[in-house]
Amino acid sequence: MSRPQALPPILKIGRFTLKDHVRQKSFIVMFLIGAAFVFFTRSCYQGDYLVNGQMLGAGSVAGGIAKMSFHTIAIGMMLLAALLAMRAFSHDRDHGMQACILAKPITRTQYVMGKVLGLWILALACMFILHVIVFFIMALRVKAFMPAFLAASLLCSLNLMFVVISVLVLSLCMSDFVAFIAVMAVTVISFVSEGIHALHQSQMLDAIALPQGAVSQADVTWTTVMYYLWPKLSGLQITAASLIDHGWSGGWADLYPLVNIFAYCLILLALLLWRFRGEEII
Amino acid sequence: MIELTSATKHYDTLAAVEDVSFSVKTGEYFALLGPNGAGKTTIVRMLLDFTRPTSGRLSIGGLPSTQAAARLGVGYLPENFHIQPYLSGRQYLERCADLLGMGRSEATDECRRMIELIGMQGREHSLAGTYSKGMLQRFGLGGALLGHPKLLILDEPTSGLDPIGIREIRLLLETLKKDGMTILLNSHLLSEVEKICDSAAIINQGRLLVKDTISSIATDGDTLEDVFIRLVRG
Repeated sequence: MSRPQALPPILKIGRFTLKDHVRQKSFIVMFLIGAAFVFFTRSCYQGDYLVNGQMLGAGSVAGGIAKMSFHTIAIGMMLLAALLAMRAFSHDRDHGMQACILAKPITRTQYVMGKVLGLWILALACMFILHVIVFFIMALRVKAFMPAFLAASLLCSLNLMFVVISVLVLSLCMSDFVAFIAVMAVTVISFVSEGIHALHQSQMLDAIALPQGAVSQADVTWTTVMYYLWPKLSGLQITAASLIDHGWSGGWADLYPLVNIFAYCLILLALLLWRFRGEEII
Repeated sequence: MIELTSATKHYDTLAAVEDVSFSVKTGEYFALLGPNGAGKTTIVRMLLDFTRPTSGRLSIGGLPSTQAAARLGVGYLPENFHIQPYLSGRQYLERCADLLGMGRSEATDECRRMIELIGMQGREHSLAGTYSKGMLQRFGLGGALLGHPKLLILDEPTSGLDPIGIREIRLLLETLKKDGMTILLNSHLLSEVEKICDSAAIINQGRLLVKDTISSIATDGDTLEDVFIRLVRG
């Protein structure tokens, strides 16, 4: 006998996941610390900033601090997403929730997709709320309305999806903590490599390092290939931030990090579903 | 209702279940008996697709156990059942009802009925962390009975319960028998099994030793316990 379903199973499991995490004190404390940090930066948006003897305008100060806040929140939320995801399966297993759910007519694919969805929405909501606080601080204190700031936040949420899925996949193959550290290492390498690449591309560095008259050669080495194939978490964040100051060109350079992370999400999700199919449910 | 054909499960070199075949008819109260590590829980886990058999076929209601649809109308109470400590018994039941696809009003009615059936009125709003083992077991049974399942799989339902709790579970199962429910009971308590089950299978070291009606297994003045000990000790 089939009953009318209020919500598809994926959404129900996603909702349970979300509720379970929101109930945890550690999550509430982490989120409140983040919100307090963002709130306390409000006085930074106003003031006289002197750079190279020149007074900065209120707009450029607000823009600069807003971008800094944007990046700090986005990085902090990747850390939070990894922390939330690392115990997602083991928490359900330890509390008998996995057996309770999978003893019902619910497939493993629906269960995994529900977990991914719940964790991603939770991390996205946290990041968006913090970005909304920054948005309102700017709007109220310096009268700068930046709707692109919120669009950038949503674009950046793809990074959170990557973090959630990769931690979930790795937590099936290794201990939860090692999975967390591994994904954080991938994130750090992404940011460091982006910095090195930017330095490598800089004309200032060429001018210092190369002898006069010599031409910089852009040779394709394995490091270049690695740079492009590595998850472009940093690249996507920079692309998203470019929306804030209207630096988005819409070219391949802006689109590539988006395509890269999206492709990684799909590959890792397929890997997660395949790996979970063979998992023993306790 | 349940059909196992040459079900085998190996963990590396360990044979947890070896070529086990039996069937359970609709409306039958069937007990799976065996000492610790005999393979009873592995059979239950294979039936629910919690672990895949190395070889053989298992089906529920004619559907392969690997299909989620086979678990439609199946209630399950695991061994060492627990609820997240931050949920109340009622919230747990509501989650189960939600997973079964019940609407809000149906879920409310069904949860109320179940709380009465398991005798937990007045404690349903307390957090699970404050429940005794017996209370948890009752809520677990309530979750398994939600939505009028056709098949109830109980893995050591009386584990950790005091004699009063054991008796209450037995009385509840006897009540359900009148509704024509099929039960697969995995238990150590042979005296309880003898009182409520129609038939049983005795398993040892992953192999099926006997499968018959209780009255056919325990003959010539022997109790089920006598036969069990004789068969298991070889």
